[in-house]
Amino acid sequence: MAETILSIEHLKKEYDGKPVLDDVSLKVKKGEVIVIVGPSGCGKSTLLRCINALEPIQGGEIRLHGEPIGSSPKQLATLRQKIGMVFQSYELFPHLTVMENIILAPTKVQKRTKADAQTEARTLLSRVGLADRADSYPRQLSGGQKQRIAIVRALCMHPEILLFDEVTAALDPEMVHEVLQVLLDLAEQGRTMLIVTHEMQFARAVADRILFLDDANIVADAAPEVFFDTPVSERAKNFLSTFTFERKNKNSQDAALRV
Amino acid sequence: MKKLKQILTAALGLSLALSLSACGSSQPTASQSAAGSTAAAGSADTRVVYRTLDEIKESGTINIGVFSDKNPFGYVDENGDYQGYDVYFANRIGEDLGVTVNYVSTEAANRIEYLQTGKVDIILANFTVTAERAEEVDFALPYMNVALGIVSPDSRVIENLDDLTADDAVIVISGTTAETYLTQNNPDLTLQKYDTYANAKNAFENGNGVAWANDNTEVIAFALQNEGYTVGIPSLGSQDTIAPAVSKGNATLLDWLNNEIETLGGENFFHADYEATLVDTYGLDYEDSLVVEGGKVG
Amino acid sequence: MPDLGLEVLFKGKNMLRLLDGLGVALKISLIAVAISIPLGLLLGILMTRKNPIVRALLRLYLEFIRIMPQMVLLFLVFFGATRVFGWNLSGELSAVIVFTLWGTAEMSDLVRGALTSIPAHQYESGAALGLTNAQTFFYIIIPQTVRRLIPLSINLITRMIKTTSLILMIGVVEVLKVAQQIIEANRMSSPGAAFGVYLFVFFLYFIVCWPIGRLAKYLEKKWV
Repeated sequence: MAETILSIEHLKKEYDGKPVLDDVSLKVKKGEVIVIVGPSGCGKSTLLRCINALEPIQGGEIRLHGEPIGSSPKQLATLRQKIGMVFQSYELFPHLTVMENIILAPTKVQKRTKADAQTEARTLLSRVGLADRADSYPRQLSGGQKQRIAIVRALCMHPEILLFDEVTAALDPEMVHEVLQVLLDLAEQGRTMLIVTHEMQFARAVADRILFLDDANIVADAAPEVFFDTPVSERAKNFLSTFTFERKNKNSQDAALRV
Repeated sequence: MKKLKQILTAALGLSLALSLSACGSSQPTASQSAAGSTAAAGSADTRVVYRTLDEIKESGTINIGVFSDKNPFGYVDENGDYQGYDVYFANRIGEDLGVTVNYVSTEAANRIEYLQTGKVDIILANFTVTAERAEEVDFALPYMNVALGIVSPDSRVIENLDDLTADDAVIVISGTTAETYLTQNNPDLTLQKYDTYANAKNAFENGNGVAWANDNTEVIAFALQNEGYTVGIPSLGSQDTIAPAVSKGNATLLDWLNNEIETLGGENFFHADYEATLVDTYGLDYEDSLVVEGGKVG
Repeated sequence: MPDLGLEVLFKGKNMLRLLDGLGVALKISLIAVAISIPLGLLLGILMTRKNPIVRALLRLYLEFIRIMPQMVLLFLVFFGATRVFGWNLSGELSAVIVFTLWGTAEMSDLVRGALTSIPAHQYESGAALGLTNAQTFFYIIIPQTVRRLIPLSINLITRMIKTTSLILMIGVVEVLKVAQQIIEANRMSSPGAAFGVYLFVFFLYFIVCWPIGRLAKYLEKKWV
């Protein structure tokens, strides 16, 4: 049995007194790929942001390797190195080149040598097919390229767990695939990942577990086949039905035309 | 809401500025007579801004405010030296006081302010004596006359305003004494107004008006430099005078200046001044009507 | 060729006087700029702090300086300081004070604007990578702020240089005043001199402000 990397217990998060996450508990094992789905505003992104302590929490506990997150700013900075996060709006630093973006944290935070960080950055860049863009500035890249760089930037810190917050939501449709392919490769490598996404086909392909979040709580926690093929709860069924389209009177109309 | 905030800050800012300037403009004498003035305010307000005659002599320098761009009264020549009718007199003042003259370049709009803050000891900047100004500063005896004049082409010299009909336009520069005077005293006159000297001059030369009304020094100079024009009316309306001014209450300096002007009359100093500085512009014909000698008008 | 009166520029020391006047204008504006930039940075950072009293005070200061015409500020400092406090400030010192007050206010607003225009995600990205707050500020926020600031502040500097033409009202003889003096001194001999002299003054302002503007353009292109 793989060890538990991340454990969340009785997490409570409120905005202006309104609960966004209400008593959420979750254990993530090493090598697990968990996809979090749910309707907009259900707290998926907030959950990821709480794990990285970008949001203060009102109750419960989040532990990485048994160590509570956020006990002091110094400890927080150390813990955050172990958690890689990629945001929806590819937040590269616009004043730095691709290479500088990637090696900033490894050299400044982990105090690795520039040469060492650059070598690794090059390897990772070629793995996502962007070896030739090391000296480009973010403004010279497409959205899909920027998002792949952002992933490389997170990977170069050697995180133990990766958080992906709707990383394809801001992309043009033709670029979604290239980014999701990178995520699939990472899953193949056995990375521990928490992915928030609206791409249901992708979720089914990549996930070991699907978490369905609704109304500030985890409503379902199941293997993808179970979740998609035989959803138990009414809310999950309703949610999934929003991804399929049906034209109910299509046949009757055809018939009418034939008359 | 944002708008309201802006208006509020604007009002606050303005009131602050007003209180500052209001506090500033209260005259020493005025606040002294206001019985309620507190000791603290009194000590600030009764401060003497000016330097007495002895203090000026002791310092070795007198600050005189002159124009630096009003040829031929006060201007700076190509070597950077102050020149002109006012400066000629100012140099003599320095000589007779035994001090060096520090010329301060003033503008028409800030002459009174300079005296009220004691930043200059004397203003000698073509300063026309008026009743309003006499409330703010103390004028010494005059050393020049000024009046309005009207210039017209030789083909039809206007010697009397009554000769003009409603079709005859008189050119004036907006905001000048000529405009004010003619609007008040000859309301039936047709005035053609221009914003700048150059525009008025152009219009007059193009024959847009039958005459041009301005300070008599200006029209005299114009007629002298331009062939075919005559000053038909060299002195119109009330004669004004030009005099040096000192800070209100600076009696020692004022007395000295009045004495000086009277004494200089004995040597016909201002005629010499005229011949040295103004004759090129106004010619000899107008010397006696423009110069005031010994402080005695008329 | 119409008479531009250019010959008056070469009479006596006229050329030297104009250059001296330009020197006066530049000295005053550049001293004010040198003081305004660090003060503006400090106030600009304070303006982004959460303290409502500090923010309100700085806002009030900014609006006051913005509302008042520079001419009024010059009179308030030059004559007002004498009337109210008895301080006899020289025209040049008064000008430096006014331009510094103005430059600091405008600069602080530019700094505030540049700082708040950096998206919150930039801070979060830094934090998510394990950078401390100081590191995030130093490596990510400050460089981006400075880049946004440089074109704007250069624009402010050229505005300050050009606005020195007002200081003739408090007796400081700068380039425009010298120009007026030259024109008036030659009113009779070269009536058309105004055009030539102002043309030359335009040229002087141009050779000072144009390279500054080019530098801004260059940096803008390089850094956007």
